[in-house]
Amino acid sequence: MGLLKKTTGITGLAVAANPHHTLGALYGKILRTLQKMPETSVYRKYTEQIVRERAAVLTQTKDSFEIEKKINCGQDEELIIQAENELNLARKMLNWKPWEPLMAKPPKGQWEWPPSKA
Amino acid sequence: MSFFLKRTIGAGNGVGRAILNSTKIPGVQRVATKSTEKTPVQETRPTVAKLDPLQKAQLVDFGKYVADCLPKYVQKVQLTAGNELEVLIPPDAVIPVLSFLKDHHSAQFANLVDIAGMDVPSRSNRFEIIYNILSLRYNARIRVKTYTDELTPVDSACDVFKAANWYEREIWDMYGVFFANHPDLRRILTDYGFEGHPFRKDFPLSGYVEVRYDDEQKRVVVEPLELAQEFRRFELSAPWEQFPNFRANPVTEEVVNPSEDQPKK
Repeated sequence: MGLLKKTTGITGLAVAANPHHTLGALYGKILRTLQKMPETSVYRKYTEQIVRERAAVLTQTKDSFEIEKKINCGQDEELIIQAENELNLARKMLNWKPWEPLMAKPPKGQWEWPPSKA
Repeated sequence: MSFFLKRTIGAGNGVGRAILNSTKIPGVQRVATKSTEKTPVQETRPTVAKLDPLQKAQLVDFGKYVADCLPKYVQKVQLTAGNELEVLIPPDAVIPVLSFLKDHHSAQFANLVDIAGMDVPSRSNRFEIIYNILSLRYNARIRVKTYTDELTPVDSACDVFKAANWYEREIWDMYGVFFANHPDLRRILTDYGFEGHPFRKDFPLSGYVEVRYDDEQKRVVVEPLELAQEFRRFELSAPWEQFPNFRANPVTEEVVNPSEDQPKK
Protein backbone atom coordinates (compact mmCIF):
# COMPACT_ATOMS: atom_id res chain seq x y z
CA MET A 1 0.00 0.00 0.00
CA GLY A 2 1.46 3.29 -1.05
CA LEU A 3 1.09 6.60 0.65
CA LEU A 4 -2.48 7.51 1.41
CA LYS A 5 -3.87 10.33 -0.69
CA LYS A 6 -5.25 13.14 1.46
CA THR A 7 -6.38 15.68 -1.12
CA THR A 8 -6.68 16.21 -4.85
CA GLY A 9 -5.46 19.78 -4.51
CA ILE A 10 -8.49 20.94 -6.49
CA THR A 11 -11.23 22.93 -4.79
CA GLY A 12 -14.47 21.03 -4.45
CA LEU A 13 -13.06 17.74 -5.68
CA ALA A 14 -12.91 15.13 -2.93
CA VAL A 15 -10.61 12.13 -2.98
CA ALA A 16 -12.42 9.16 -4.49
CA ALA A 17 -12.70 6.14 -2.21
CA ASN A 18 -12.29 3.41 -4.82
CA PRO A 19 -11.42 5.02 -8.16
CA HIS A 20 -10.52 1.74 -9.85
CA HIS A 21 -13.99 0.32 -9.29
CA THR A 22 -15.81 3.58 -10.14
CA LEU A 23 -13.87 4.05 -13.36
CA GLY A 24 -14.43 0.45 -14.40
CA ALA A 25 -18.17 0.77 -13.87
CA LEU A 26 -18.34 4.06 -15.78
CA TYR A 27 -16.35 2.78 -18.74
CA GLY A 28 -18.59 -0.28 -18.89
CA LYS A 29 -21.66 1.94 -18.96
CA ILE A 30 -20.22 4.15 -21.70
CA LEU A 31 -19.37 1.15 -23.87
CA ARG A 32 -22.84 -0.31 -23.39
CA THR A 33 -24.41 3.04 -24.38
CA LEU A 34 -22.21 3.22 -27.46
CA GLN A 35 -23.35 -0.25 -28.51
CA LYS A 36 -26.78 1.23 -29.26
CA MET A 37 -25.34 3.58 -31.89
CA PRO A 38 -24.94 2.44 -35.50
CA GLU A 39 -21.64 0.81 -36.43
CA THR A 40 -20.84 3.52 -38.95
CA SER A 41 -21.04 6.36 -36.42
CA VAL A 42 -17.67 8.08 -36.24
CA TYR A 43 -18.42 9.38 -32.79
CA ARG A 44 -18.96 5.82 -31.61
CA LYS A 45 -15.76 4.65 -33.25
CA TYR A 46 -13.52 7.28 -31.68
CA THR A 47 -15.16 7.20 -28.26
CA GLU A 48 -14.95 3.41 -28.11
CA GLN A 49 -11.29 3.65 -29.01
CA ILE A 50 -10.57 6.14 -26.23
CA VAL A 51 -12.59 4.30 -23.60
CA ARG A 52 -11.17 0.89 -24.55
CA GLU A 53 -7.68 2.34 -24.24
CA ARG A 54 -8.44 3.60 -20.75
CA ALA A 55 -10.26 0.46 -19.69
CA ALA A 56 -7.24 -1.57 -20.81
CA VAL A 57 -5.08 0.41 -18.40
CA LEU A 58 -7.52 -0.47 -15.61
CA THR A 59 -7.09 -4.18 -16.30
CA GLN A 60 -3.32 -3.89 -16.17
CA THR A 61 -3.04 -2.34 -12.75
CA LYS A 62 -5.04 -1.64 -9.63
CA ASP A 63 -2.78 1.05 -8.22
CA SER A 64 -4.36 4.46 -8.64
CA PHE A 65 -1.08 6.32 -9.15
CA GLU A 66 -0.17 3.85 -11.84
CA ILE A 67 -3.52 4.43 -13.56
CA GLU A 68 -3.04 8.19 -13.50
CA LYS A 69 0.43 7.87 -14.94
CA LYS A 70 -0.59 5.54 -17.73
CA ILE A 71 -3.77 7.32 -18.80
CA ASN A 72 -2.06 10.68 -18.32
CA CYS A 73 -5.14 12.85 -18.34
CA GLY A 74 -5.28 14.15 -14.78
CA GLN A 75 -5.92 12.53 -11.42
CA ASP A 76 -8.29 9.64 -10.85
CA GLU A 77 -10.97 12.00 -9.59
CA GLU A 78 -10.70 14.04 -12.78
CA LEU A 79 -10.82 10.87 -14.86
CA ILE A 80 -14.05 9.97 -13.09
CA ILE A 81 -15.53 13.36 -13.97
CA GLN A 82 -14.45 12.99 -17.58
CA ALA A 83 -16.03 9.54 -17.76
CA GLU A 84 -19.27 10.84 -16.21
CA ASN A 85 -19.38 13.65 -18.77
CA GLU A 86 -18.76 11.26 -21.62
CA LEU A 87 -21.52 8.96 -20.36
CA ASN A 88 -23.99 11.84 -20.19
CA LEU A 89 -22.96 12.97 -23.64
CA ALA A 90 -23.26 9.49 -25.13
CA ARG A 91 -26.77 9.11 -23.72
CA LYS A 92 -27.78 12.47 -25.18
CA MET A 93 -26.16 11.57 -28.49
CA LEU A 94 -28.58 8.65 -28.79
CA ASN A 95 -31.38 11.21 -29.05
CA TRP A 96 -29.51 13.72 -31.19
CA LYS A 97 -28.22 11.16 -33.71
CA PRO A 98 -25.25 13.23 -34.91
CA TRP A 99 -24.26 10.57 -37.47
CA GLU A 100 -27.13 11.59 -39.77
CA PRO A 101 -26.43 13.82 -42.81
CA LEU A 102 -26.22 17.59 -42.45
CA MET A 103 -29.45 19.02 -41.02
CA ALA A 104 -29.41 22.43 -42.71
CA LYS A 105 -27.27 24.03 -45.35
CA PRO A 106 -26.15 27.58 -44.68
CA PRO A 107 -28.01 30.30 -46.58
CA LYS A 108 -26.04 31.55 -49.55
CA GLY A 109 -23.29 33.98 -48.58
CA GLN A 110 -23.75 33.36 -44.86
CA TRP A 111 -20.14 32.44 -44.16
CA GLU A 112 -18.55 34.77 -46.69
CA TRP A 113 -16.19 37.42 -45.46
CA PRO A 114 -15.97 40.23 -46.42
CA PRO A 115 -19.73 40.15 -46.96
CA SER A 116 -21.06 40.72 -50.43
CA LYS A 117 -22.90 43.98 -50.94
CA ALA A 118 -26.63 43.41 -51.18
CA MET B 1 -5.19 8.07 -33.25
CA SER B 2 -7.63 9.52 -30.83
CA PHE B 3 -5.87 12.53 -29.38
CA PHE B 4 -5.42 15.42 -31.72
CA LEU B 5 -4.76 18.16 -29.30
CA LYS B 6 -1.43 18.29 -27.61
CA ARG B 7 -1.79 17.78 -23.94
CA THR B 8 -0.54 20.60 -21.81
CA ILE B 9 2.79 19.61 -20.41
CA GLY B 10 2.23 18.90 -16.75
CA ALA B 11 -1.54 18.83 -16.95
CA GLY B 12 -1.45 15.16 -16.15
CA ASN B 13 0.46 15.73 -12.96
CA GLY B 14 -1.38 15.93 -9.73
CA VAL B 15 -0.95 19.22 -7.95
CA GLY B 16 1.47 18.94 -5.09
CA ARG B 17 2.60 15.43 -5.91
CA ALA B 18 6.29 15.25 -6.62
CA ILE B 19 6.26 11.62 -7.73
CA LEU B 20 4.76 12.35 -11.10
CA ASN B 21 6.58 15.58 -11.70
CA SER B 22 9.86 13.84 -12.09
CA THR B 23 8.63 11.11 -14.40
CA LYS B 24 8.53 11.34 -18.14
CA ILE B 25 5.10 11.98 -19.54
CA PRO B 26 4.20 9.31 -22.08
CA GLY B 27 1.17 11.09 -23.55
CA VAL B 28 3.03 13.93 -25.13
CA GLN B 29 4.36 11.60 -27.78
CA ARG B 30 0.84 10.85 -28.85
CA VAL B 31 0.65 14.18 -30.64
CA ALA B 32 -0.95 13.45 -33.96
CA THR B 33 0.19 15.10 -37.12
CA LYS B 34 -1.87 13.64 -39.89
CA SER B 35 -1.74 16.66 -42.14
CA THR B 36 1.42 16.88 -44.15
CA GLU B 37 2.33 20.53 -44.03
CA LYS B 38 5.29 22.03 -45.75
CA THR B 39 7.34 23.97 -43.25
CA PRO B 40 6.93 27.62 -44.21
CA VAL B 41 9.66 30.20 -44.02
CA GLN B 42 10.51 31.17 -40.45
CA GLU B 43 9.07 34.56 -39.58
CA THR B 44 11.87 36.89 -38.50
CA ARG B 45 10.13 40.25 -38.38
CA PRO B 46 9.72 41.07 -34.68
CA THR B 47 6.34 42.75 -35.10
CA VAL B 48 4.65 39.88 -36.92
CA ALA B 49 3.12 36.98 -35.02
CA LYS B 50 5.04 33.73 -35.38
CA LEU B 51 2.99 30.77 -36.49
CA ASP B 52 3.55 27.37 -34.97
CA PRO B 53 3.09 24.79 -37.77
CA LEU B 54 2.69 21.95 -35.26
CA GLN B 55 -0.12 23.73 -33.46
CA LYS B 56 -1.75 24.53 -36.77
CA ALA B 57 -1.59 20.91 -37.89
CA GLN B 58 -3.19 19.83 -34.62
CA LEU B 59 -5.96 22.37 -35.02
CA VAL B 60 -6.63 21.23 -38.58
CA ASP B 61 -6.81 17.62 -37.43
CA PHE B 62 -9.07 18.49 -34.55
CA GLY B 63 -11.33 20.44 -36.91
CA LYS B 64 -11.63 17.38 -39.14
CA TYR B 65 -12.27 15.23 -36.08
CA VAL B 66 -15.18 17.44 -34.99
CA ALA B 67 -16.62 17.48 -38.51
CA ASP B 68 -16.34 13.67 -38.70
CA CYS B 69 -17.98 13.09 -35.35
CA LEU B 70 -20.88 15.48 -35.95
CA PRO B 71 -21.69 15.32 -39.67
CA LYS B 72 -25.28 16.32 -38.91
CA TYR B 73 -24.31 19.62 -37.33
CA VAL B 74 -21.10 20.99 -38.80
CA GLN B 75 -21.53 23.15 -41.89
CA LYS B 76 -17.95 24.22 -42.23
CA VAL B 77 -14.67 24.29 -40.32
CA GLN B 78 -12.15 27.00 -41.01
CA LEU B 79 -8.96 28.53 -39.65
CA THR B 80 -8.67 32.27 -39.26
CA ALA B 81 -5.56 34.29 -38.50
CA GLY B 82 -3.48 31.16 -39.00
CA ASN B 83 -4.21 29.50 -35.66
CA GLU B 84 -7.82 30.10 -34.67
CA LEU B 85 -10.16 27.23 -35.33
CA GLU B 86 -13.79 28.03 -36.15
CA VAL B 87 -16.68 25.61 -36.37
CA LEU B 88 -19.68 26.96 -38.26
CA ILE B 89 -23.02 25.40 -37.37
CA PRO B 90 -26.74 25.97 -37.99
CA PRO B 91 -28.66 27.58 -35.09
CA ASP B 92 -30.46 24.36 -34.10
CA ALA B 93 -27.14 22.64 -33.43
CA VAL B 94 -25.88 24.93 -30.67
CA ILE B 95 -26.57 22.62 -27.74
CA PRO B 96 -25.32 19.34 -29.28
CA VAL B 97 -22.13 20.90 -30.60
CA LEU B 98 -21.31 22.76 -27.40
CA SER B 99 -22.07 19.66 -25.30
CA PHE B 100 -19.86 17.56 -27.51
CA LEU B 101 -16.99 20.01 -27.21
CA LYS B 102 -17.44 20.24 -23.47
CA ASP B 103 -17.98 16.62 -22.52
CA HIS B 104 -16.05 14.58 -25.05
CA HIS B 105 -12.83 13.00 -23.77
CA SER B 106 -10.56 14.40 -26.44
CA ALA B 107 -12.10 17.89 -26.49
CA GLN B 108 -12.92 18.95 -22.91
CA PHE B 109 -13.61 22.58 -23.73
CA ALA B 110 -15.04 23.21 -20.29
CA ASN B 111 -14.72 26.99 -20.09
CA LEU B 112 -16.97 29.40 -21.92
CA VAL B 113 -14.81 32.47 -22.37
CA ASP B 114 -17.28 34.72 -24.13
CA ILE B 115 -20.30 34.91 -26.37
CA ALA B 116 -20.11 37.60 -29.00
CA GLY B 117 -22.57 38.90 -31.53
CA MET B 118 -22.20 40.35 -34.98
CA ASP B 119 -24.59 42.22 -37.24
CA VAL B 120 -24.31 42.09 -41.03
CA PRO B 121 -27.52 43.67 -42.37
CA SER B 122 -26.95 42.54 -45.95
CA ARG B 123 -27.37 38.85 -45.05
CA SER B 124 -30.72 37.12 -44.80
CA ASN B 125 -29.73 35.87 -41.34
CA ARG B 126 -28.18 39.10 -40.24
CA PHE B 127 -26.87 38.15 -36.78
CA GLU B 128 -23.98 35.88 -35.99
CA ILE B 129 -23.61 34.45 -32.49
CA ILE B 130 -20.04 33.48 -31.67
CA TYR B 131 -19.05 31.23 -28.77
CA ASN B 132 -15.42 31.29 -27.65
CA ILE B 133 -14.54 28.26 -25.57
CA LEU B 134 -11.35 27.14 -23.91
CA SER B 135 -9.96 23.74 -23.00
CA LEU B 136 -7.62 23.95 -20.03
CA ARG B 137 -6.78 20.28 -20.34
CA TYR B 138 -5.41 20.54 -23.87
CA ASN B 139 -4.48 24.23 -23.80
CA ALA B 140 -6.63 24.95 -26.82
CA ARG B 141 -9.31 27.37 -27.89
CA ILE B 142 -12.06 26.97 -30.41
CA ARG B 143 -14.75 29.24 -31.77
CA VAL B 144 -18.27 28.12 -32.61
CA LYS B 145 -20.33 30.36 -34.87
CA THR B 146 -23.99 30.24 -35.70
CA TYR B 147 -26.49 32.61 -37.26
CA THR B 148 -30.01 33.87 -36.79
CA ASP B 149 -32.34 36.70 -37.81
CA GLU B 150 -34.36 39.19 -35.75
CA LEU B 151 -37.22 36.81 -35.02
CA THR B 152 -35.83 33.28 -34.86
CA PRO B 153 -34.84 32.27 -31.33
CA VAL B 154 -31.57 30.45 -30.71
CA ASP B 155 -31.40 27.72 -28.06
CA SER B 156 -29.85 29.02 -24.89
CA ALA B 157 -26.51 27.49 -23.94
CA CYS B 158 -27.23 27.93 -20.23
CA ASP B 159 -27.87 24.20 -19.78
CA VAL B 160 -24.39 23.43 -21.05
CA PHE B 161 -22.40 26.38 -19.70
CA LYS B 162 -23.67 28.24 -16.64
CA ALA B 163 -21.56 31.20 -17.70
CA ALA B 164 -23.75 31.65 -20.77
CA ASN B 165 -26.47 33.29 -18.67
CA TRP B 166 -25.13 36.83 -18.58
CA TYR B 167 -23.45 36.63 -21.98
CA GLU B 168 -26.75 35.77 -23.59
CA ARG B 169 -28.41 38.60 -21.75
CA GLU B 170 -25.77 40.91 -23.23
CA ILE B 171 -26.52 39.62 -26.72
CA TRP B 172 -30.23 40.04 -26.13
CA ASP B 173 -29.68 43.58 -24.89
CA MET B 174 -27.28 44.70 -27.61
CA TYR B 175 -28.66 42.86 -30.65
CA GLY B 176 -32.15 41.74 -29.72
CA VAL B 177 -31.51 38.08 -30.45
CA PHE B 178 -33.95 35.95 -28.49
CA PHE B 179 -32.67 32.91 -26.62
CA ALA B 180 -35.14 30.10 -26.09
CA ASN B 181 -35.22 28.43 -22.65
CA HIS B 182 -33.04 31.08 -21.05
CA PRO B 183 -33.84 31.18 -17.31
CA ASP B 184 -33.77 34.95 -16.95
CA LEU B 185 -33.60 36.89 -20.21
CA ARG B 186 -33.55 40.61 -19.26
CA ARG B 187 -31.60 43.67 -20.28
CA ILE B 188 -28.19 43.79 -18.62
CA LEU B 189 -26.11 46.68 -19.94
CA THR B 190 -28.47 49.49 -20.96
CA ASP B 191 -30.23 51.99 -18.73
CA TYR B 192 -33.62 51.49 -17.09
CA GLY B 193 -36.41 51.93 -19.59
CA PHE B 194 -34.04 51.89 -22.54
CA GLU B 195 -35.56 51.01 -25.89
CA GLY B 196 -33.81 49.49 -28.87
CA HIS B 197 -30.72 47.39 -29.36
CA PRO B 198 -27.65 49.64 -29.64
CA PHE B 199 -25.26 47.27 -31.44
CA ARG B 200 -27.50 46.84 -34.45
CA LYS B 201 -26.12 48.55 -37.50
CA ASP B 202 -29.36 50.47 -38.04
CA PHE B 203 -29.27 51.98 -34.54
CA PRO B 204 -28.17 55.63 -34.88
CA LEU B 205 -24.86 56.59 -33.28
CA SER B 206 -26.51 59.36 -31.27
CA GLY B 207 -29.38 57.19 -30.03
CA TYR B 208 -33.03 58.27 -30.04
CA VAL B 209 -33.31 60.14 -26.73
CA GLU B 210 -31.21 62.44 -24.62
CA VAL B 211 -31.18 62.78 -20.86
CA ARG B 212 -30.69 66.03 -18.90
CA TYR B 213 -31.36 67.48 -15.46
CA ASP B 214 -34.29 69.88 -15.47
CA ASP B 215 -33.96 72.73 -12.97
CA GLU B 216 -37.65 73.55 -12.80
CA GLN B 217 -38.88 70.02 -12.35
CA LYS B 218 -35.90 69.18 -10.11
CA ARG B 219 -35.39 65.84 -11.79
CA VAL B 220 -33.76 64.13 -14.73
CA VAL B 221 -35.90 64.22 -17.85
CA VAL B 222 -35.67 62.08 -20.97
CA GLU B 223 -36.40 63.87 -24.23
CA PRO B 224 -36.33 62.92 -27.88
CA LEU B 225 -33.00 63.82 -29.42
CA GLU B 226 -32.68 67.20 -31.08
CA LEU B 227 -29.64 67.78 -33.23
CA ALA B 228 -28.43 71.34 -33.79
CA GLN B 229 -27.38 70.44 -37.30
CA GLU B 230 -29.57 68.77 -39.89
CA PHE B 231 -28.72 65.14 -40.45
CA ARG B 232 -26.31 64.80 -43.29
CA ARG B 233 -25.53 61.74 -45.25
CA PHE B 234 -21.79 61.26 -45.33
CA GLU B 235 -20.46 59.18 -48.16
CA LEU B 236 -17.67 57.23 -46.52
CA SER B 237 -16.80 54.72 -49.21
CA ALA B 238 -14.01 55.71 -51.55
CA PRO B 239 -14.23 55.18 -55.30
CA TRP B 240 -11.17 52.91 -55.29
CA GLU B 241 -10.77 49.50 -53.71
CA GLN B 242 -9.89 49.66 -50.02
CA PHE B 243 -8.06 46.40 -49.29
CA PRO B 244 -6.74 45.01 -52.57
CA ASN B 245 -4.41 42.71 -50.63
CA PHE B 246 -7.37 40.76 -49.28
CA ARG B 247 -8.61 39.84 -52.74
CA ALA B 248 -5.77 37.40 -53.33
CA ASN B 249 -5.38 35.93 -49.85
CA PRO B 250 -8.64 35.45 -47.99
CA VAL B 251 -8.56 35.79 -44.20
CA THR B 252 -9.90 32.31 -43.62
CA GLU B 253 -8.56 28.94 -44.67
CA GLU B 254 -11.04 26.19 -45.21
CA VAL B 255 -10.49 22.96 -43.29
CA VAL B 256 -13.63 21.03 -44.18
CA ASN B 257 -16.77 22.17 -45.89
CA PRO B 258 -19.38 19.41 -45.72
CA SER B 259 -22.15 21.73 -46.88
CA GLU B 260 -20.58 22.01 -50.32
CA ASP B 261 -18.67 18.74 -50.60
CA GLN B 262 -21.70 16.65 -51.47
CA PRO B 263 -22.05 15.70 -55.12
CA LYS B 264 -24.87 17.43 -56.92
CA LYS B 265 -27.82 15.31 -57.86
